[in-house]
Amino acid sequence: MATVTVPEGAVTAPALEARGVVKSFEGVHALKGVDLSVLPGEIHALLGENGAGKSTLIKIVTGLYSPDAGELRRNGEVVEFANVRAAHKEGVVALYQELSIVPTTSVAENVLLGEQLPSRAGVVDQRELRRRAQEQLDRLGQRISLRKLAGDLSPVQQTMVAVARALATDARVLILDEPTASLTDTEIREVFQVLRALRDEGVAIIYVSHRLEEVFELCDRLTIMRNGETIVTKDVADTTIDEVISTMVGRSAEGLFPERGTATSEVTISVAGLNGRRVRDVSFQAHAGEVLGIGGLAGSGRSELLRILAGSQRHTSGTITVAGTQLPQTVSVGRMLDAGVALVPEERRSQGVILSASIQDNIALANIGTVSRAGVVSGRGIAAIAKRGMADLQIKARSARQAVGELSGGNQQKVVLAKMLARRPKVLLMDEPTRGIDVGTKAEIYRLIRELAAGGTTIIAVSSELPELIGMSDRILIMHEGAVSGEVSAQDADDELLLSYAYGRSES
Amino acid sequence: MTSQKESTRTAAIIAQQSRRAGGMLLSGGTIVALLLLIVFFFAMRPETFLSFVNVRNILYQVSILAIIAGAQTIVMVVGDFDLSVGATSSLAGAVTAALLIANNPLPIPAAILAGLAAGLLVGLVNGILIAYLNLSAFIATLATMTSVIGLAYLVTGGTTVFGMPPEFNELGQGRFLNIPLPVYIAVVISVIIWALLRFTTIGRRWHAIGGNVEVARLSGVNVRWARLLAFTLAGFVSAIGGILLAARLGSAAAEQGGDNMMFSVAAVFLGMTVLRSGAANLGGTMIGVAIIGVMSNGLNILGVNAYVQQVVTGLIIIAAVTLSSLRTRDR
Repeated sequence: MATVTVPEGAVTAPALEARGVVKSFEGVHALKGVDLSVLPGEIHALLGENGAGKSTLIKIVTGLYSPDAGELRRNGEVVEFANVRAAHKEGVVALYQELSIVPTTSVAENVLLGEQLPSRAGVVDQRELRRRAQEQLDRLGQRISLRKLAGDLSPVQQTMVAVARALATDARVLILDEPTASLTDTEIREVFQVLRALRDEGVAIIYVSHRLEEVFELCDRLTIMRNGETIVTKDVADTTIDEVISTMVGRSAEGLFPERGTATSEVTISVAGLNGRRVRDVSFQAHAGEVLGIGGLAGSGRSELLRILAGSQRHTSGTITVAGTQLPQTVSVGRMLDAGVALVPEERRSQGVILSASIQDNIALANIGTVSRAGVVSGRGIAAIAKRGMADLQIKARSARQAVGELSGGNQQKVVLAKMLARRPKVLLMDEPTRGIDVGTKAEIYRLIRELAAGGTTIIAVSSELPELIGMSDRILIMHEGAVSGEVSAQDADDELLLSYAYGRSES
Repeated sequence: MTSQKESTRTAAIIAQQSRRAGGMLLSGGTIVALLLLIVFFFAMRPETFLSFVNVRNILYQVSILAIIAGAQTIVMVVGDFDLSVGATSSLAGAVTAALLIANNPLPIPAAILAGLAAGLLVGLVNGILIAYLNLSAFIATLATMTSVIGLAYLVTGGTTVFGMPPEFNELGQGRFLNIPLPVYIAVVISVIIWALLRFTTIGRRWHAIGGNVEVARLSGVNVRWARLLAFTLAGFVSAIGGILLAARLGSAAAEQGGDNMMFSVAAVFLGMTVLRSGAANLGGTMIGVAIIGVMSNGLNILGVNAYVQQVVTGLIIIAAVTLSSLRTRDR
């Protein structure tokens, strides 16, 4: 399968090599002497929990950060990247999921964004532009209209455009950071096919992902990082997912999901005939102590349903009843919080936390009204809430005044949770509760969800990952095109059944 | 191998410590700049610059700018800005002055209230346009600024209005304990705004919105209402500044508050460089106001003409903002 094996004393020099790279920020060692060696014509997975140092390493090899010590080699020769452009010139290009395209310009221009646009006397030569862009897309076997706006493309097409652009700049080392995060299974296949073709052309690909199944399907070798150090580099064929997980965590990955509890019969939230944008006629009840999972494909209306329940999106008809009280037709987030419904949103960094603000101020955010008297906020009250939240959720930080942006993804997620839990919600809505979080913290979040349920809270959690959906829930609703297409008890659920509901094949 | 690792670590620690010292210098840069300016002018004119009379002069000169910069700080904490504060202050001064010299003059308190109401209304309109009709703050306040200047011309009839009762002018020209009244008023208003931003629920909500609107909204903050309040309050506070300016000058003209708009934005920007987070803050704004005041006064004493002063003010803003962006790029 893999075109490249790694014989002893291989003749080919690594396409990209990092030796003893050290980098620290304000006293914290992000990297403590990292070694990475990626050969031309291989797909090399870079794995590790959040905070292990993957992102920092990527930023160093792409010229965004300069290392405090250590060296980089390209084809065996020492190189120094003063900035991203210098790395581009050497053919080292990284693609980040969100930052990769300019949504308001055409596909053709996006493909040639990094290159000089072909022009005559300063006027863009449209024909030449399209010819060259088409050439790159053809190389990827993509049929995308060049005149379309990049922002109108589907996520997978956007990814392809970004890859095409990297190829247009003659990338020889391509770095992909979670490229499949927002893609469906078929789209992922398509991306894999393209990546394999590139590998066969001799491009070195560094693949950063938390999705180990994908890594094992796609990659030739993998390097595991932990606490700012590279632990091991191995052929994928010589290892197993379990081994990788325990190496990443530094301990065994047994018992990721805690035991299920017993839900009560007390209905905490009841939804009847709910309609709204992307949500069609949804009705369900959830109970105290229950973890209700919501699955479905991306775009099936899962997130929209949660947003309606959280009061941040309007519904056109239907009723929401919380703890026996029916809520009025127009509600706000504040009103739903008062009613006891809190949302932990999907996009942590843009919706969950204010990165520049302190842990304390972030936790206080949803609680400003509850720790004030006559409009004056009690500083002591805020400090107390923050202290309790940090202790309860074991948030690892220097102090409550540390900026949230400096924390790892898992700890940021705990800050969002602490903020909402301080309101003591009856119903906690969670959208992708563990997205982009390392395995160790994932287990903590699952345990926390169970503890909350045991205390009588209802948890309604949306997840794209089937193992997570099955492992953490008591009961699962699957959505398809805005409607509930299936309901299963988690004990009876398997991937196949959930997927058939997700694709709308009911009664399978 | 280990020893090599050790030495690279030591190198890293040293590099990092020197960077931290650099960071301190940068974040304190604006304050250092203020001190340097003071030392410079003191050295150039030792007998006059730090004399009681001159310091009092500086305070008197910046008091109205301080009030309007306070208004601007509120809006900028929320992450917006308000181009209309100067025009609003002019309108408020013009309304009050015009009512005081009318054929049937209003009593002074009523005329002042009318001026304040005018400012409040302009702020309210800004707030509705921006928070509820989703116009960008730039476009909305540019438009209201234009209209408000027009209104001020209508109120003053295009001339300079003067002849207000001396009791009114006393507000801007009088002294208590040998210090001009506007200085006290500016201090009181600044302290109120500082406390409002720091200790109240609305202040915390404004900070949250400025940090990240979406996060604030999903945390239950009524973003529209909070932004509306910020602009309304900014209009009101600008009006206080405008009425005081009319009292100090003993006259009101349609564009007499105009300069304060640019300088207020400049002061807030200078102040934003003081905090690590780069957020607008009242203490920083007052340092910014002080820099602008000291420089204008010092250059005056040295006999540098007013146009050069304007050029230098722009350069100082560029320098301060460049320094602070260097700091953020370091990460």
